[in-house]
Amino acid sequence: MIDFWEILQEHFVPFLNATGMTLKLTSVSLVLAMVLGLLVAFLKLSDNRALNWVAHVYIAVIRGTPLIVQLMFLYFGITSIVVLPSFWAGSLALAIHSGAYVAEIFRGAIQSIDKGQMEASRSLGVSHWKSMRLVILPQAFRRAVPPLGNQFIIGLKDSSLVAYLGVAELYGAALSAQAENFQPFETYMVAGLYYLVLVLIFTLLVQRLESRMDKANSGRQRDTRTRIA
Amino acid sequence: MIHVRGLHKHFGALHVLKGIDLDVEQSEVVVLIGPSGSGKSTLLRCLNFLEIAQEGTIELLGKSVVPGKDDLDDVREHVGMVFQHFNLFPHMSAIENITMAPINVKKLSKEEARATARDLLQRVGLADKEDSYPSQLSGGQKQRVAIARALAMSPDVMLFDEVTSALDPELVGEVLQVMKDLAKSGMTMVVVTHEMGFAREVADRAIMLDDGQIIEDTTPELLFTAPTHERTQRFLSQVL
Repeated sequence: MIDFWEILQEHFVPFLNATGMTLKLTSVSLVLAMVLGLLVAFLKLSDNRALNWVAHVYIAVIRGTPLIVQLMFLYFGITSIVVLPSFWAGSLALAIHSGAYVAEIFRGAIQSIDKGQMEASRSLGVSHWKSMRLVILPQAFRRAVPPLGNQFIIGLKDSSLVAYLGVAELYGAALSAQAENFQPFETYMVAGLYYLVLVLIFTLLVQRLESRMDKANSGRQRDTRTRIA
Repeated sequence: MIHVRGLHKHFGALHVLKGIDLDVEQSEVVVLIGPSGSGKSTLLRCLNFLEIAQEGTIELLGKSVVPGKDDLDDVREHVGMVFQHFNLFPHMSAIENITMAPINVKKLSKEEARATARDLLQRVGLADKEDSYPSQLSGGQKQRVAIARALAMSPDVMLFDEVTSALDPELVGEVLQVMKDLAKSGMTMVVVTHEMGFAREVADRAIMLDDGQIIEDTTPELLFTAPTHERTQRFLSQVL
């Protein structure tokens, strides 16, 4: 246990920098995954068979193969076409991975919105895509927040595998630290603690976002009750 | 105003409309009645192309409308619709529900659209509810906002699809009153309803559908007092 505290102190600065890298990787890849996921969700919901098929195959392949295989495959695939720093290659690969899960979350959320919403909007002469943007998506995003939060936590932890592409993020920092200090048990424990704290902070943020959305709704309802009374 | 000829609609193996001919003139109020499954809602939804019929022609406002060739969004601008379950947008306030289409389709400025929306809310008796969200309104209030929302596009025809069926009995009156006022103002209306009192009082014509066909097309007075068809007599004896 004394070693644990020593290592925690000794590697405080490099681990803190590595945490910054982990957060950067996670946020860049998740923003890209959201864009990709929304796009793929639309492909899957489209009436066009070919587009459905593309989305289907993409999701099946991503869900059916290990992330580390995808990372290596995409890293060597991407970097054989274009020269990319490993941070960007890693972010892209993570985004392509998370994108499949985000796509399913968005598809489910969009499909969960009552059909009457689209019909009402179309009956007013609003086009399909405008109805999607103004009526369906704002409601679908709200429903997607809890599962997206979950997916983001997974994404944060998955970013550790990018260490194998040579990115000095948290797990990468632990890898090199334990090679120097010969204390893998304590070093990985410290790395685990960093991840745990990050996830706990993030969970708290999602919970606050959710309860704020709930309050916005029930607050309105309470408001009427007093008005009716 | 509306001329329908030989309309057939299938849902898979189900033949829902079996050759409908229907004419609705300017300012006419036509009620469609009939047992559930008779095709009255489907007929209504064909009139603004929420359902596309497989056979037959529909002429609206003097123009024949061909799905796949004509821009249905343009057509729908002129045909307002009110639904059984309101279908208000829950993430928008009452006034935002009403101004959404005028701002995004008619490209009105926000101020213009809001001014019109306030007039409409006044007209349906909800001037004080413009900032309320649908979850804060009663069923009757929701439905009146939905009517105002449809009217905001200044449609030439209004379609009503069982708009009081999901309401508590004591809230039905306020919605029917708005519809009566609308009829009085000269709006052309096609109304699917189970409110026989409303049909009798407001409608110019009453049409009885059964099994995808129009079996009676007459004045409400005649339909209720002297139905010619045995099926109509049976239906009326059940609902009256």
